[in-house]
Amino acid sequence: MSDVLLPVAITVPLVAATLPLALGLKYESAGWPVAAVATTALAGLTGAIGLEVARGGALSHALGTYEPPVGIELVADELSVAVLALVAVVSLATLAFARVAGPRGNSFYSGYLLLVGGLTGLVLTGDLFNMFVFLEIVGISTYALIAADRSGASAYASLKYLVVGTVGASLYLLGVGYAFLATGTLNMLDMQVQIVEQASYADPLIRASYALIVAGLGLKVAVFPIHAWQPDAYQRAPDAVTTIVAALVSTASAYALMRVSYTVFTVDFLAANDAITTGMLIVAGASILAGSALAAMQSDLKRMFAYSSVAQFGMIVAAIALANETALLGGIVHLVGHGLLKFGLFLGIGLLALGYGARELDDLASAARSAPYTAGAVALLGLGLVGIPPSIGFLGKWYIGVGAVESSMAGGDPAGIGIAAVIFVSTLFTLSYVARVIERFYFAGVGLPGGHGAEHDESGHGDVGGHDDADRGVAADGGRESATGDDGPLTPVEGAPRSRLVPDRVPPASLAILILAAFTTIALGFGGYALFEWFDPYLTEVFA
Amino acid sequence: MNSILTSVPPYVLLAFAALAVLALPRRLGHAAAALATTFTFAQAVLLGDGGTGAHLATQFLGFDVVWFNVDQFSLLMGVVVGFLATAAVLYAYGTEAPTWVTSFALIYVATTVGTIYAGDWLTLIFFWELMAVTSTLLVWQYGGAAVRAGYRYALFHGIGGTFLLGAVVVHFANAGTFLFSATTGIHASAALLAAIGIGVNCGFIFLHTWLPDTYPRPHVAASVFLSVFTTKTAVYVMYRAFPEGGMWLAYLGGFMAVYGAFFALLQYDPRRLLSYHIQAQVGYMLAGLGLATLAAPSGEFAVTGGFAHLFNNVLYKSLLFMAVGVVIYRTGVEDIREMGGLWRVMPVTFLVYVVGAASITAVPGFNGFISKGMVIDSAHEVHNYVLLLDSGLLWWLLILGGVGTFMSFIKLGYYMFFHGSATLTPKDATPFQTAGMVLAGGACVFFGVFYYQLIELMPFTEIILGEDVYFKPYSTSHLTESAALLVTGFVGFFTLKRPLGWLAHRMPDVDAVTYPAVFYLARGSIWGVTELWAAVDRAVMGTIATAEWTGMHPREALARAGVDVEIRTGIGRSVLFLTLTAGVALFVFVLS
Repeated sequence: MSDVLLPVAITVPLVAATLPLALGLKYESAGWPVAAVATTALAGLTGAIGLEVARGGALSHALGTYEPPVGIELVADELSVAVLALVAVVSLATLAFARVAGPRGNSFYSGYLLLVGGLTGLVLTGDLFNMFVFLEIVGISTYALIAADRSGASAYASLKYLVVGTVGASLYLLGVGYAFLATGTLNMLDMQVQIVEQASYADPLIRASYALIVAGLGLKVAVFPIHAWQPDAYQRAPDAVTTIVAALVSTASAYALMRVSYTVFTVDFLAANDAITTGMLIVAGASILAGSALAAMQSDLKRMFAYSSVAQFGMIVAAIALANETALLGGIVHLVGHGLLKFGLFLGIGLLALGYGARELDDLASAARSAPYTAGAVALLGLGLVGIPPSIGFLGKWYIGVGAVESSMAGGDPAGIGIAAVIFVSTLFTLSYVARVIERFYFAGVGLPGGHGAEHDESGHGDVGGHDDADRGVAADGGRESATGDDGPLTPVEGAPRSRLVPDRVPPASLAILILAAFTTIALGFGGYALFEWFDPYLTEVFA
Repeated sequence: MNSILTSVPPYVLLAFAALAVLALPRRLGHAAAALATTFTFAQAVLLGDGGTGAHLATQFLGFDVVWFNVDQFSLLMGVVVGFLATAAVLYAYGTEAPTWVTSFALIYVATTVGTIYAGDWLTLIFFWELMAVTSTLLVWQYGGAAVRAGYRYALFHGIGGTFLLGAVVVHFANAGTFLFSATTGIHASAALLAAIGIGVNCGFIFLHTWLPDTYPRPHVAASVFLSVFTTKTAVYVMYRAFPEGGMWLAYLGGFMAVYGAFFALLQYDPRRLLSYHIQAQVGYMLAGLGLATLAAPSGEFAVTGGFAHLFNNVLYKSLLFMAVGVVIYRTGVEDIREMGGLWRVMPVTFLVYVVGAASITAVPGFNGFISKGMVIDSAHEVHNYVLLLDSGLLWWLLILGGVGTFMSFIKLGYYMFFHGSATLTPKDATPFQTAGMVLAGGACVFFGVFYYQLIELMPFTEIILGEDVYFKPYSTSHLTESAALLVTGFVGFFTLKRPLGWLAHRMPDVDAVTYPAVFYLARGSIWGVTELWAAVDRAVMGTIATAEWTGMHPREALARAGVDVEIRTGIGRSVLFLTLTAGVALFVFVLS
């Protein structure tokens, strides 16, 4: 009976999504409480599902009275539970930030809940066409949320994503159609069987289907060179939206790719089609390199970490294409870990923007002095993204790298070594941009008025104006050099929240969540073996 | 008895004594120091009676080592070093040496003894490097001009030590063991490195300039210690490395004898003059060790001659440094031309000087006569490059060195003790100085007369005293030879006095070239390395800056390259890329 939890988990946010609009007729701000209740309920349901899966293995539920393979099936196994947990936790945690940072209004929360419901469905569905539906729900709610602050730039970013995303989803649908033609079924498990029985792994229809699905999902995942919508979307979206979108949307799409590749097409299909995996590895490698390099070039913080996601998802796609157990484990761990890391990073950046108006790398001078806890947490998360060991960011990358080397050793295919080398180079790039952030936090701004060692300026406020003039004079003829060097230290914006406990001028609840997220990434890093234990049944099934 | 003695490495005791000198009052401290050195002496004497063997053999860092290796050679070194160190401690006490000098001297003696009793190359190189450090400290302690000279000294010995270290490493790599007992000398592949490394300490020509540079500078008591331990230990280690000798070593020794004696002749600083004689005397010893290559029993005879000369040299060379030190201590003058007529006011010092000078110049009745005669006799058997009198080049070199020695000690004595009227009226030596000098001088006379005792202390005693070897120091030919040298020396000095004086101002040693050369070479290489690195740094930073700028301003960079396009991917281009990707994927996936 516990399989009823699955449709309930999807229905709760979807139904709740209608409430803010309905209640909005009467109440000004019904959205946030509704969203809070719905996401809390989702978190509870996720916990229950997780317990059931831990106790009795995979859950499945047939919707309505139609039995699969005709009816739609919902499935929860170890992999989907892990991603579902990420969805539940992040959507709940982001709410605290959204409450203070906006966007406000009931319609935003409707969209928010629609997105959460779509993500939940995407994770739990066991049917290819149903997956397309949820993909579209996620996509459409994301388009709406990106434009939620009604600025021109975000509208353009949203439109770009809308057009490209729709084409991508169509490609996916086309791929599903091909597969349906070849097998006559849409249920994932059934199709896995039917591909072998009615077609073959070499069937052009099956191959074309996989090509279209990979292209469509690859767009949603945002791998190079079809990533162009993603940096714009992340950068232009309101901070709270970026936080949830960056943590969950691409993650869920990558989950879908993983699910389709391993549950529908299976590892044998990948093994039988070397060109497919090689092609995917090449794209993944290019994605890792280009994403890292582009990230290192950025000066806008959100854009920098947006490009970083391109690189990280490149690694996950590589893990999928490598098709060996270690790499896939690494891919799953990195999928979840990266989601958590990016949630924390974008939350931290959002907090700094909210409290201090800092959006560029150059604005961050002496951040560790004015906002020590925020800066510390962001630094920890950034180091995790680099892959410094006690963090989960290290585990994922490590397993992918090891898996890549293993596959080369086993099969003599040089692509694996290439991926390992590319991951190494990407780590250096990641270090370079994370180090720039940390350098701004902890070392820049020495001697600036109000910055490090500027106590003497406090005594004479009359001097401050003179200093500013001098700074401007230098900036006028100094070009780029002085534009970075002479920025003042991080100063709070007017009316920034104040807390009695910490010097950071950021919302305390969100700060607590940020710190919790930072420590969670480290705690999960220590739980490497537990993660392995948890995913072991899934991996055993996939590689059986 | 022996088992107790062999369990106490003397250098540990000496190191503790060095600390005691600092901790205790001056008198007590020096007493402790003298006790420790006396113990070193007595232990070596007692172990001579059946105490030989590799004691304290153990494992260190996973290597087999011997920390207290007692054989004929290390014992004779232990005897003479212990004896002379005792005399030198007494002398230091009598010369008002600061306790720091005595303490550094003691730790220096300790490292010397450690080197002597090492039974493997690892222990040896450890103490060898320490010896360089402690002797540098001893020089530096005096301050003033000694600091710069000490710095050059440290550079020389640092480089030399590194060479020897390299030799030891190469030796181990080839021989697989550090133990002396496992191989005959150092492995052939390490020979050159070892020869250079040890040669620095021996004062090979061109590597010797630290000797006259350093030894005249520190405290007079420190000079006494320095003058005998580093170079003589180096000769001893040379034997450890090359027990089979070699003609290259013998000829090198011959040239060193001439070179050192010649430059000594040009000096007016008494301690500088004596320092050049160290090089000359080491030349005789190396000649003896080098001639080990001769057929038995001549080879053994030559080695014994070399070691006997080493033994005697420790005694008389320090005696001379003591006597000269007394004069400097009492007068404060370090130029012999400003001295003169001192024999009246310093009769004891004069007498001691005469004993030392007679020993070093090999006057019959003094110990130098015995050992130098042995080396020259051995050289007489070498008939390569025969010159006059049916004698080879080596013999003539050694004879020439002998003449130079005579001349320079006549010069030294003449200037210090005669040479015009006495302008200075210093007191004579202090009681403890006298005690130290009498100890050393007494030994010089003793071994000159009772030369069988000397041979008893030497290795290969049976061979020397055996039937096959002609060992009669006081034979007519030896006496004639000595007299001829003496006469030549006197005549030579007084006829050549003026030309030599002229030459003394115009004849630089090789350091006039080598020091500036090394200095400018080092400065040049430092400049070169710095500038090269700076260039690399500029290039790298320039490249990074360009890459960064290009990354930050891609549009401008393209414009500069003449391409003016929008590089941001708009909506249309995004869709194009997507369709292209899907197309390529289809193409690849389906048609593969």
